[in-house]
Amino acid sequence: MGSKSQALLFHIQAECKTTRSRAGLIKLPHYSVKTPVFMPVGTQGTMKGLLPEQLEELGCEIILGNTYHLGNRPGTEVLEKIGGLHKFMSWNRALLTDSGGFQMVSLLKLAEITEEGVKFRSPYDDTEIMLTPEKSIEIQNCIGADIIMQLDDVVQTTFQDYDRIKEATERTSRWLDRCLKAHKRPSEQSIFPIVQGLLNKELREKSARDHMTKNVNGFAIGGLSGGESKDQFWPMVSLSTGILDKHRPRYLMGVGLAIDLVVCVALGVDMFDCVFPTRTARFGCALTNKGQLNLKQKKYETDLNPIDNECTCSTCKNYTRAYLHCIVTVETVACHLISVHNIAYQMRLMKTMRENIEKGTFPQFVKTFVNELYSDGNVPSWVLESLNSVGINIR
Amino acid sequence: MRFIIKHASCGGERVGNLTGFAKMKTAVIETPTAALLTQGGSVVHLTVDVLSKVFTSPHLLWVPLSNSARLEIGVKAQGEGIAKFAGLQGHVTCATLHNASEMTPPGHFEANFVPMWTKNGKKMITADRYMDIMEIYTPDILLAIADSHITLNEGQKRISKSVERSRVLLDTCVNRYVNSKRLQDCALIGVITGTGINEKCDHCIKHLLTHKEHLNGVALSGMTDGSEESLKIEKDKLETIFKSISESIPSELVKFIEGCWTPDIIMTAIQYGWDVFDGSYPSKLTNAGQALALNFDVDKNCDELCLLDLNDVRYKEDFRPILEGCECHTCKKHTRAYIQHLLNTREMLSTVLLSIHNLHHFDQMFVHARRHIASSTFDVYKLHIVKQYERYKQQVPIESDSEKDKDTVQTAKKICVSNDVLENVSIFK
Ligand SMILES: [Zn+2]
Ligand SMILES: [Zn+2]
Ligand SMILES: [Zn+2]
Repeated sequence: MGSKSQALLFHIQAECKTTRSRAGLIKLPHYSVKTPVFMPVGTQGTMKGLLPEQLEELGCEIILGNTYHLGNRPGTEVLEKIGGLHKFMSWNRALLTDSGGFQMVSLLKLAEITEEGVKFRSPYDDTEIMLTPEKSIEIQNCIGADIIMQLDDVVQTTFQDYDRIKEATERTSRWLDRCLKAHKRPSEQSIFPIVQGLLNKELREKSARDHMTKNVNGFAIGGLSGGESKDQFWPMVSLSTGILDKHRPRYLMGVGLAIDLVVCVALGVDMFDCVFPTRTARFGCALTNKGQLNLKQKKYETDLNPIDNECTCSTCKNYTRAYLHCIVTVETVACHLISVHNIAYQMRLMKTMRENIEKGTFPQFVKTFVNELYSDGNVPSWVLESLNSVGINIR
Repeated sequence: MRFIIKHASCGGERVGNLTGFAKMKTAVIETPTAALLTQGGSVVHLTVDVLSKVFTSPHLLWVPLSNSARLEIGVKAQGEGIAKFAGLQGHVTCATLHNASEMTPPGHFEANFVPMWTKNGKKMITADRYMDIMEIYTPDILLAIADSHITLNEGQKRISKSVERSRVLLDTCVNRYVNSKRLQDCALIGVITGTGINEKCDHCIKHLLTHKEHLNGVALSGMTDGSEESLKIEKDKLETIFKSISESIPSELVKFIEGCWTPDIIMTAIQYGWDVFDGSYPSKLTNAGQALALNFDVDKNCDELCLLDLNDVRYKEDFRPILEGCECHTCKKHTRAYIQHLLNTREMLSTVLLSIHNLHHFDQMFVHARRHIASSTFDVYKLHIVKQYERYKQQVPIESDSEKDKDTVQTAKKICVSNDVLENVSIFK
């Protein structure tokens, strides 16, 4: 089975002989994206004060937009008139939009989910709105991202009621059919189905198998990273990647912590997104291989080192920890500077993994990475177990 | 620092070069010019990476101590001055006590202390303490500390105090400056205050000039306390001030003006030979979601408004750049509609894009002014700019300004009151 339309072509360029990891290239209408890839989240058509040009310089090849937010502001009329989000925000590389369902359920307490769709009150003008699978695709067709998401029936990951989880999983499959049917631009945009089933093995397996029968170019793994324990998390990722066709890209939604990225790439995931690297920047938190630095701490007051000596980003080239310490949470510039570094960090981590997969040294890289991160030797058991399941023995 | 006058007209306007900076040997700052306002050491809203997309040559940075005081420990630890510490070593720095465009509430005074309003409330600072920090910051240009954050309309008593206190402060500054090894490459600028009363102002200038051998220039202050109200000065009165003070200053001294002056007033000041302006005006526009869009072609009649308020929903579907033909990064890549969206959603990129345009465009206003002075056509250019700005003022009555002022005063007062209660007005140690 190969890709189903010209809107997406996936080439696997190298595969790890030990783990399930692979390095590939996703050819999309606006850009060819090297995988494994991290996609920064630009909720409202912008990324935390950074220019699109800076994102390109940082090596971002694909970024995320939020359908729910963009559908409200600037709205589909404006986007239609200018010819889509790419043109509106002057971003020439690839874009991915979510379906809007997650925002609705997580942001809006009054959302009510029926077979027809998600009913909720608009926080803008208090009118009642129904987001159906058809409506979500209509908005996403208008935004014009290269990859778009089906509307799924979202249930809190730690939810316990089996009947509700079962209903949501099955409804997600039914909604996928409606989304595919409503899709008006299949030659320019690819819909990814979302594997649901939360933490239930049978339901998740069924969801993945259902989606495998559909005419789609890639898959998303959803319903995770929502407060469950890591011991519950990784087996669900592993189960999903084990079923999903290896010739199509696999996207794990809402995951972006460095250790999670390394483990999940080993488990066979190709794409990730997360608001964490840019959100945490606002609070003065910088990412490094040795963990996170909270630059507000007094110990950085006279620390004349850059955030990370090995980083080549413009922040590390021009600024010291001491300077950042003075301005974090006070000046907007601090937020921009740490966002630049944090995105550079994520990009560098993905690039390093890709290179190691290509060179056939991915397992060694994982061992070195884990040992540097947990230099005290206290590697969490879920990391040991998950990596062990794909043939990497840390100890 | 050296100030070389390249061309001076009989009317008073002149073009010159500031050169000979010890840290930036190749830097040439052409005057008349506006500095770039910094906050916490960085050009407002811009990282050094983005700033390099706006300006490729060294620019003058305006560094108020009031918004950068918390950098002292770090600058001291590094020992290479404020510009290097803030990642801006490619530029030239001018340090001063206050950002003259910031509203500061009236406060009490003590002998030997000047109030300095920081984000953490009011701090009282002495001239010696100010010079201690300047020895750490080692700016290229240094404005003497003065008690000059007052309006033209202050009472006689307050103005007398301002002049008297500033005299003592300057004496300390000069004394410290002359004996400082670390400041030997730094240019000292004396501050003119008492501007509201001719006689007092004359006293101030006479005293400044007794220190002339140590001064590279003067800075005109004592005209505004940062409020919109204080900037509303009759044209004739302003012209008289700019003209008479300029004439009483030897021409070899470089002449600075502090304050958030609009383009029409800046043109008048240039006409009377004033050389350097602080960069608070474009920052103020950016923070208000506004973009400057002057037409610089004197042969073109322009009926577009020279200031756009991009908060306005009228730009929601306006896919033109802020200013057609503008060479800035923002205008080359982005639309009014996008900026309106960013303002509407309170996204940080709005101030970045507006800063890029406003700083570039404001700088261009000075580039064109210098060209016209050099070719003796400045009066035509001045009229062209003044006309555009006056048309804007007529069409958009600045109705809400005094209301805004009240708000700012009240917020400023509140901040101060709460801090006074909390800290009982601390002395800046
Ligand atoms: Zn970095
Ligand atoms: Zn004296
Ligand atoms: Zn522009």
